Amino acid sequence: MELLTVADLHAYYGDLAAVRGVSLHVDEGEIVALLGSNGAGKTTTLRTISGLQRARRGTVSFAGADITRAGPHAIVAKGLGHVPEGRRIFAGLTVEENLNLGGYLSRRDHTAVAARKQRVFELFPRLAERRRQLGGLLSGGEQQMLAIGRAMMNEPRLLALDEPSLGLSPLLVRAVGEVIQRIRASGTAILMVEQNARQALTLADRAYVLETGHIVLEGPAAQLARDPRVQHAYLGGSAEEAAPSPQPGAGE
Amino acid sequence: MSAFLQYVVNGLTSGAFLALVALGYTMIYGVIRLINFAHGDVLMVGSFIGYEVAVTLVAQHWPVAVIVLLALLAGMAFTGGLGMVIERVAYQPLLNASRLAILISALGVSLALEQGVELIFGAGYSAYPNILPTAGFTFAGARASYVQVGMFGLSLLLMGGLYLFVNRTMAGTAMRALAMDRDAAALMGINVPRTILLTFMLGSVLAGASGVMQGMYYTEINFFMGFLLGLRAFTAAVLGGIGNIPGAMVAGLLIGLIGSFSDGYISSEWSDAIIFAVLIAVLVFKPTGLFGERVAERV
Amino acid sequence: MAASGGLRRVIRLPPRADLPVRAGLTLTATAVVLLLPLVLSAYPMSVAVTVVTYAILGLGLNVVVGYAGLLDLGYAAFFAIGAYTSALLQLDAHWSFWETLPAALVAAAISGCIIGYPTLRLRSDYLAIVTLGFGEIVRITATNLNVTGGPNGLYGIPPASVFGTTVITEDALYYLGLFFLLIAIVFTGLLSRSRLGRAWRTLREDETASEAVGVPATKVKLLAYVMGAMVGALAGMFFSTQFGTIDPTSFTFTTSVTILMVVIVGGMGSIPGMLLGALIVIGLPEALRPISNYRLLIFALGLVVLMLVRPRGLWPTRRSRRGSFTAPPASGTAPEKQAVARPEPVTQGSLLLRVSGLQHSFGGVKAVNDVSFDLHAGEILSIIGPNGAGKTTVFNCITGLVTPQRGEVSLRGERSLLKVKPHKIVSLGLARTFQGVRLFERLNVAENCLVGLAAHQDRLVSRHGLLGRTTAADRREALRWLTFVGLADRAHLLASELAYGDRRRLEIARSLMSGPLALLLDEPAAGTNPTEKRDLMDLVRQVRDSGVTVLLIEHDMGVVMGLSDRVIVLDQGAVIAEGPPAQVRSDPRVIGAYLGREEQEVTEAVGEVPGWNS
Repeated sequence: MELLTVADLHAYYGDLAAVRGVSLHVDEGEIVALLGSNGAGKTTTLRTISGLQRARRGTVSFAGADITRAGPHAIVAKGLGHVPEGRRIFAGLTVEENLNLGGYLSRRDHTAVAARKQRVFELFPRLAERRRQLGGLLSGGEQQMLAIGRAMMNEPRLLALDEPSLGLSPLLVRAVGEVIQRIRASGTAILMVEQNARQALTLADRAYVLETGHIVLEGPAAQLARDPRVQHAYLGGSAEEAAPSPQPGAGE
Repeated sequence: MSAFLQYVVNGLTSGAFLALVALGYTMIYGVIRLINFAHGDVLMVGSFIGYEVAVTLVAQHWPVAVIVLLALLAGMAFTGGLGMVIERVAYQPLLNASRLAILISALGVSLALEQGVELIFGAGYSAYPNILPTAGFTFAGARASYVQVGMFGLSLLLMGGLYLFVNRTMAGTAMRALAMDRDAAALMGINVPRTILLTFMLGSVLAGASGVMQGMYYTEINFFMGFLLGLRAFTAAVLGGIGNIPGAMVAGLLIGLIGSFSDGYISSEWSDAIIFAVLIAVLVFKPTGLFGERVAERV
Repeated sequence: MAASGGLRRVIRLPPRADLPVRAGLTLTATAVVLLLPLVLSAYPMSVAVTVVTYAILGLGLNVVVGYAGLLDLGYAAFFAIGAYTSALLQLDAHWSFWETLPAALVAAAISGCIIGYPTLRLRSDYLAIVTLGFGEIVRITATNLNVTGGPNGLYGIPPASVFGTTVITEDALYYLGLFFLLIAIVFTGLLSRSRLGRAWRTLREDETASEAVGVPATKVKLLAYVMGAMVGALAGMFFSTQFGTIDPTSFTFTTSVTILMVVIVGGMGSIPGMLLGALIVIGLPEALRPISNYRLLIFALGLVVLMLVRPRGLWPTRRSRRGSFTAPPASGTAPEKQAVARPEPVTQGSLLLRVSGLQHSFGGVKAVNDVSFDLHAGEILSIIGPNGAGKTTVFNCITGLVTPQRGEVSLRGERSLLKVKPHKIVSLGLARTFQGVRLFERLNVAENCLVGLAAHQDRLVSRHGLLGRTTAADRREALRWLTFVGLADRAHLLASELAYGDRRRLEIARSLMSGPLALLLDEPAAGTNPTEKRDLMDLVRQVRDSGVTVLLIEHDMGVVMGLSDRVIVLDQGAVIAEGPPAQVRSDPRVIGAYLGREEQEVTEAVGEVPGWNS
């Protein structure tokens, strides 16, 4: 069943048309990856979906309701969570206070908030150890955990993740991947934007490739991972990492 | 010594009035990064509303206490609404535009308010009916009237109320989160436009209270009074650390004291220049203020 | 891509079809303006004089606000200073009107420095408030001092005299005003076309990038105030002679705002606009008597509406200067004095840059932890490491954007670069590009390139300095580097119109204009596809081959391995390996921290990492 449907979305980044007719969907329980290089329009797509930006044209519907013109707080209330690029945790608040704010919409139900916080701490034991530490003092990986945990406080039906592995060492990247799978297992669908195509295609069920605002490829992740165009464009870097031999024509 | 104490008494009184206004500047800057040029003029409008109420009711021989109460409430209610209208019409559409665009819009609103009031009430001074008791008490050669004490107390009460609101309620927490990171706050489910509106309302209500109190205390009001008062209050907001609510309260009193000492020891003609000099000095040497800013760079 | 063949193919001028129309309009307007006194009687003429005064003021404020992007809300201060200086010298020292001219200009220039200096590092809204404060301080001072006549001001100022005639009638005043207006027009027009004008435009677009490219930001900002002040003082002088009296009520905040309205209504940046703006703001309310009381209210509301309607900001997207780049033919010119002074050349392999013990923390996190390395002339040295490893901070410490808390950076091991301003570092020989290309979007490609010369053109008094105009030699240099990177045929495009892949090339061309000893590239391959990547690597090699040492930050291993002579690996702010690429890539510490292990190993590793057990 389609949870999130985006149809012919057009959006701008400043004066630039960053998203030019993007259509995609995410079904219940799926992990969908949105790939593409810098400047392809991935972040703008996500921000438009979650309401931080206005769409110029096109529609976004979630759980059957049209959210194209809805404000971000209303969209979050419907169960669409968004962990923005760069984490954006409240640096001046503690881990616990960050999580409390994550449960803002359920603020009157103290028991529920407490229970959810507990579940987040189980998912991220390192955060439990640091619950009274200021968010700004956490390491990059811990901040990413906090950002995800904070979004989970609202028990979203779909979680949009913008570059969750940015700035993390490969070990942490795999750890985040583990977390993402656990989140899906608990019933939340995932739409993740990634530059790190290799990791994303390992995790995802399906993927879309975005290039200068258009979807140029889509399909099952495994299929895309074998597609020579994707390998050439996005896995090329990683392939060189793995292969010790120098590139033709390069090097001393 | 008695002169010194007298200046302190007067300074604390005017400082309390300033602090109420400084809070508005600091909160508004905190949530939307705008130096709300029009804030001082909102105070002025509140002051004129109170004036109208007072003049009308005095003519009908209502009891003084009731007049004061009604003037205050009317002023506060009107300015609270005015602040919200201004935000919706002149600032809300520009939240994602350049900092200067919204600043110029605020400049426009400020001028419009001043011109509007001038056209209605004229360029001269309007006099509040002099109905407040003058009784007071003396200590160590300085005199404090009960009215002064009362207004100081009321100001503290209002400030205390605001502080509790911002720090103990969820709405207040939403305001603080908004000041830290607007997008992240929105993604928490915080209704950002409504929270901004709330911030404006609170700030404007305090300004209205300050305006009515000043009108009653100094008895002379004029369409241009918001300009210099506003700048003094803004100096206090910056001095206290922009976005820092307790900071604005303390700094407001400080600027009131500085103004009072300047009036007393130098001359009231130079006081504004001196306070401007303080403003410039703070912005140049310690822009984070005495107690540290409470705004993040990210909007 | 490369512009082969004649230079003529590269030069592109747009058809200036509207030129005769514009010339015709200008001539008619000039005729009307000159003949106005024949038509109007005394009172309307006095209004015309005020319009002229405000046109001059508008031109002056336009230099500060329009050209340099500094919102000055206290411009009336300069107006006042010019008026009072001229008046006082005439009244107390019995100077003649014309003798006070240099004095007024000097007084204005000095006050421009005084007012400008504190604002240099302020953000735009605080800058506005500080200038407002200064405006008020000047007014209050004039009101309180006896020497300036107190609140009543000065009176009895003798009229000016021109070639023996006293200027008393409105008509005469009008022509005198037009003369001053002409001076202001010529002055501000020349400024706009000078290198200083370009420096201002880049400062307005992106101050950090501007400084990093070589523009001396402090000097340029101060000059904006100084130049604007001088024009304001010119108006002030004229004003003082208009009625023979001046008082502080002519120099209030409202005055400053009115002048700002002239600039905004006129549309910032254009000279005819100022004249039109003055006409509308000053003239119109006079013409429409019934509404003149509502003048300010209408303008105030108009301001708000204008902002709502055009929220992109005040500065109109510049008239596309598309056709203004022309390169002179290369043949037949005598060898010209080198336009750019280059730093002394270095011998291959010698020490170019030494970084030792660099340390810097941000909010408790050690971004750079005891980093040391040498850069040798002629090599390509790469710094790699995961995001957040501190690489860009190292660059920022080297190029003066950040002063490290500990450690030393020295050029050739002799001259310390710490505490040296970014633009000075460019003149010493280090140029850089930014992660996520920073171009001056609303300038065209050629202009972006020409700014690259700024580091060597910052003298005030010199044909090759800030006040001079771009020379043929400058343009030749720009063409040379644009050709080098393959953008010569796109010289006329606005930077914002460039394709993504070309933007980095422009940035590189811009940095090479300063003739650097070393080019520091921050993640040049970010966002490129493999074809673009390969082209970029070729370009970097060509840069090195042309004699420029390259220091580069990357985290794309293919680029690094393919290009570098040596590699330095950073992790969590510290150097964990250093050496030739092959050696570094097989270093176990590097593999562990950065390259990652094979799939299975990592899955097991994750399982064992405490805390991740389900």
